[in-house]
Amino acid sequence: MTVATLPQTAPVPAVHRRRPRSLVVGSVVVAATLVVPLVFLLLQAIQVGWAELSKLLFRHLTATLLWNTVRLSVVVTAASAVIGTAAAWFVERTDLPGRRVWAVLVVIPVAIPDFVVSFGWVSVAPSLHGFGAAVLVMTLAVYPLVYLPVAASFRGADPGQEEVARGLGLGRTRTFVRVTLAQARPAVLGGCLLVALALLAEYGAFEILRYQTFTTEIFTEFQVGFDAPAACALSIVLVLLGLVLLTADGLGRGGGRMSRSGPQVARVRQPRRLGRATVPVFAGFVLLVALALGVPFGTLVYWLVQGGRTTLPAAASLSSAAWHSAGYSAGAAALATAAALPVALLSVRHPGRMTMALERSTFLVLALPGVVIALALVFFSERYAAFLYQHSALLIVAYAILFFPLALVAVRASVAQAPTGLEEMARALGSKPWSVLWRVTLRLVAPGLAAAFCLVFLSAVTELTSTLILVPTGAQTLATQFWAYTTNLSYGAAAPYATLMVIIAVIPSYLLGRWFNRLPVNAATPT
Amino acid sequence: MTRLVATDLYKAFGSQSVLTGIELTVPEGSLTAILGPSGSGKTTLLRVLAGFERCDRGVISLGGRVVEDGRRYLPPEERGIGYVPQEGALFPHLTVEKNIAFGLSRQERRDGRVARLAEMVGLGNLTGRYPHQLSGGQQQRVALARALAIEPEVVLLDEPFSSLDAGLRASVRADVQRVLREAGTTALLVTHDQDEALSMSDFVAVIRDGRIGQTGTPQELYEHPVDPDMAEFLGDANLIRGSVDSAVASTPLGTFPLRSGSTPVAKPTSAVILVRPEQVEIRPGRAAHGLAARVVESEFHGHDAVMRVLPDASSGLGAIVARTDGALALAPGTEVTVTARGPVLAWPDA
Repeated sequence: MTVATLPQTAPVPAVHRRRPRSLVVGSVVVAATLVVPLVFLLLQAIQVGWAELSKLLFRHLTATLLWNTVRLSVVVTAASAVIGTAAAWFVERTDLPGRRVWAVLVVIPVAIPDFVVSFGWVSVAPSLHGFGAAVLVMTLAVYPLVYLPVAASFRGADPGQEEVARGLGLGRTRTFVRVTLAQARPAVLGGCLLVALALLAEYGAFEILRYQTFTTEIFTEFQVGFDAPAACALSIVLVLLGLVLLTADGLGRGGGRMSRSGPQVARVRQPRRLGRATVPVFAGFVLLVALALGVPFGTLVYWLVQGGRTTLPAAASLSSAAWHSAGYSAGAAALATAAALPVALLSVRHPGRMTMALERSTFLVLALPGVVIALALVFFSERYAAFLYQHSALLIVAYAILFFPLALVAVRASVAQAPTGLEEMARALGSKPWSVLWRVTLRLVAPGLAAAFCLVFLSAVTELTSTLILVPTGAQTLATQFWAYTTNLSYGAAAPYATLMVIIAVIPSYLLGRWFNRLPVNAATPT
Repeated sequence: MTRLVATDLYKAFGSQSVLTGIELTVPEGSLTAILGPSGSGKTTLLRVLAGFERCDRGVISLGGRVVEDGRRYLPPEERGIGYVPQEGALFPHLTVEKNIAFGLSRQERRDGRVARLAEMVGLGNLTGRYPHQLSGGQQQRVALARALAIEPEVVLLDEPFSSLDAGLRASVRADVQRVLREAGTTALLVTHDQDEALSMSDFVAVIRDGRIGQTGTPQELYEHPVDPDMAEFLGDANLIRGSVDSAVASTPLGTFPLRSGSTPVAKPTSAVILVRPEQVEIRPGRAAHGLAARVVESEFHGHDAVMRVLPDASSGLGAIVARTDGALALAPGTEVTVTARGPVLAWPDA
């Protein structure tokens, strides 16, 4: 959703300050909790046994799923990289008419759940399914994940470097390739990673488009076929794919750091004149926004109007679903934010090898799709904590684990901005460490905590996969109720749930976008 | 009576030693400056004294109480030090009044102390403002008031004027000096600016390579540096080779009486001799008495002028720096005669 870039090589600690024990203990507990799903997945695999696992894995189905998942990921990631980078460049660097409006419009799709986008497309064109449909719908749903970090990097990049390159005799095109794109490379790679991980984890959109991937198959095996061993075997492959992506990303960004020379002056940049290209580029933006925003919003409005005459759901059911969604999501947001605080404080305030390893381990969660986390927690509760099975606490914990990296990025950014000098000052003035945390640190990072809460909240409200598995019996959230109606093809009845979900998600997204734009570019990135 | 004593302090970051045997005493009620170039370890020393960093070895006592001795370590909040960092470090979420009151108990907040301090630093009418609504100089004053509010054993000031622009610096410096005197507080000021150290403080301790090179009043340091390096660090210095015999130094510039306190010698010995630029006199034209030279550089400052002159090759001397009345500034190329006034300081070769 934002620049969730992964940690890079560990810097040599500048100051060997002692790490407060409470922070270390807190962070270790958080990191341990985050790897719990992975541990349970392995436990379950051991229980199933190698013979059974290999029988489940080495069959034609696995090859098909691998081919489907990989080719989709490659094509959608490439398409998103091109669309996201190009859109960011036109909005940030050229005199495209209406740039401010476009800057908002092209980002909004990120707040629409992917399964709502594909619902929109399928209700427009019921015959839409298969690979091509999946590429089209997913690209339109996820390209903002590339756009956001790349636009931020274009905004923050040092304009002097381009001018120097021109001065050294490089033409416009070569300057663009060798300087502009090179500056944006880490952002593009970071965005691509987010896109690929989102594709691995997606369930709802592919189910609607009848496109089979690992995630959809795991879900079906578990929820429909009640075949836990098969789900477990496929989950292992899926997690391995995620780990491969994380590793590749780590290697890919290893070479060369971007730096800017001189003070952080906000120099006014002369936008590039588009001239005769204005009309085609403008038309391109109109088309992009029409497809990515117009189709899902248009269909929602259409069904709301249609549904008004036929099958409008009971208002009571709508408000009860909204209530459940909000309650679970708020619980998860509070939990994830609280968990992110010690890790962020430790990693920013007390950098070092051990701290870095700890922080990185929390990013392993990125390789765990919601379906895997949910399965692992079900396995856990069935075996060790039956009282938790079907309990809302389990769903809240699943959300908190799933969206922890988002919370960490937001909290970390504001901790990095809060000067350490102020905490030392408070100590010198006689405050005990806990009192400093309360009187100074928390006040300074409050905006980051609020942002983390919003990010997790809106992500949880629109989460479908693990919600379907973990939601307590009898309770419905906006997402599950929408899903129930959609799978019955009662689009008119489903539309109000999707609309409410989008409204709840879009407003905080917009506010968050503004907040992140005000941050210095690198504050959000772990060093 | 001394407020702060540091004995044999050592501190290293990894394999890099920063403090290597610091010895420092700060007398009660004084303003003592720690003067050193960047990288000399002066900020680290201040942070160790404040308790933000632990020393590897050594003893620190504050107001007669040992706060750190290798085994015992009192955290910053129990040391009773007032810390004023470079940028002021005001709490951005609190008003001026609440910043000043930060270190006070509920009772102390009500005893009028906050208003008195705000008045004392000249910000009595701005107590409701937030830090971002203040100028750099005002922020520094609030930081000082906040440090004084807790009635500290000693106030530590870490380059408090370096972020201010030149015009503001002088007035904020004077204010800080006045407030510290009024409050009667013992203060330790870290700076790399020798003007600041010499003009503001009662005592100066020069720190070099993690060690205190010399301590004394500003005048003592200027007139009696312990070695040629120290002489060059504190002010401009002409270091001339010559010889000393009993109480007289002979140089190509002439023969001068030695300053009291120079190392006495029994027989003629070669030596390095310090002649400060203001002791050098320059007259246009050639004269019978004095050294023939030519002006190579001339900086006019209004009230005075600094000239570099190069004596004729026959004298065997390098360039000499002279500070004269501004009215006497000469253009480069002018032929001049150089003389000097004693007494001078000499370091005989060992």
